[in-house]
Amino acid sequence: MAVSAVSQQDRRGVARIRALLERVGITLDAHLDYTCAIYDDEGEPIATGSAFGPTLRCFAVDPDHQGEGLLNEIISHLMDYQAGRGMTHLFVYTKPASARFFCDLGFYEIARVPGSLVFLENRRRGFSDYLAALSRTARPGSACAIVMNANPFTLGHRYLIEQAAASFDTVHLFLLSEDAGPIPARVRLELARRGTADLAGVVCHESGDYLISKATFPSYFLKNEDTVIRAQAALDTAIFAKIAQALGVTCRVVGEEPTSHVTGIYNEIMAKTLPQHGVACRIIPRKALPDGRVISASQVRQAIHDDRLGDVADMLPDTTLSYFRSAESEQVRAAIRREEDVIHY
Amino acid sequence: MEIKKPAVAGTLESSDLMVTVEPGSNGIELAISSSVMNQYGRQIKNTVLETLDRLEVRQAKVTVVDKGALDCTIKARVECAVFRSCDQSQKNIPWGGAIV
Repeated sequence: MAVSAVSQQDRRGVARIRALLERVGITLDAHLDYTCAIYDDEGEPIATGSAFGPTLRCFAVDPDHQGEGLLNEIISHLMDYQAGRGMTHLFVYTKPASARFFCDLGFYEIARVPGSLVFLENRRRGFSDYLAALSRTARPGSACAIVMNANPFTLGHRYLIEQAAASFDTVHLFLLSEDAGPIPARVRLELARRGTADLAGVVCHESGDYLISKATFPSYFLKNEDTVIRAQAALDTAIFAKIAQALGVTCRVVGEEPTSHVTGIYNEIMAKTLPQHGVACRIIPRKALPDGRVISASQVRQAIHDDRLGDVADMLPDTTLSYFRSAESEQVRAAIRREEDVIHY
Repeated sequence: MEIKKPAVAGTLESSDLMVTVEPGSNGIELAISSSVMNQYGRQIKNTVLETLDRLEVRQAKVTVVDKGALDCTIKARVECAVFRSCDQSQKNIPWGGAIV
């Protein structure tokens, strides 16, 4: 059977794919790069699958055609497509009931949210190698973890880390590796390193493929419905729990998030589910400046965008401030100025 | 031959296999999953390693997802993935031989 691509512009074609997915209880994701399908003699879709970034998702096989090996053809086609654009480390989201089909196709489970979804990758030792590499950075004594975008690193981030360092010997600081805005990941990491260089207990990590990446948590980066955000946040929490175990981390420290919708939901899910995994979750209120303004990275981006860095100078550590005042940051500043909307939804 | 970039060959359909090769620095790192692992796992491994050896591949990460392929299919898919990974697939390929 031939597998064909479904154009996102072909509304009728997409509507029929959506109907096929709904027949097996799946919603077509709002953000997809590529969708393919197998059609029967009448031209009706009987099997479908999609790709978004390094992930494969939204699979369905018509109940009348199950057991014909159609899923294998869809996956083969999607893997070819992904390899063609240079992606070989792939991830799959699926319902727990369907996970075993993917285990037969060379995928290995990373984590699951019981009753909701299972997350798999096509490397047998992918996640375990990642955990093993992390566990080599574990230190004796108590440890907590913070995951931040630090976009860019402000005194608010610094305050959060200081609060954590006051109660724990080691603070494992994960910086999101995904480039999702005008400030590149390597700059965000470097500014966090410089801004915490004087704190002996802080260990900086890149978050890599597994923590709040476009693979695990796409709705962190792209607008989506609350139910989708909740499911992905729960998955991210399950993955984090395994990372915490590898590092001997007993507490996740998060900054309170009154303005970002997605981070707000994420924090709420973490507060609820992390204790079930045996990890405490402590939410630290934001630091306010003496004049009552709250320190916020989006305010800093807005100020850079409007070319009035001086207004937010009191929100930034010297390391970040001098970076944005130096010629070194010229390209990054230009990229922020080009951005139309610099606020995280 | 040197594995220069990731490459894939084959499918996941019955009687076929999908081979992925990627650059490596730790010898041949081979991961096999097969629907007939208990019966033929060792034979699949030997066939893959022999084919890689004949192509003089010394460093690579190789992933094999087998769906009950015959030995000749395994050889062909491994060769194809290796040739694709070093941009040989556009040229005249000595199938079954080594490239000097």
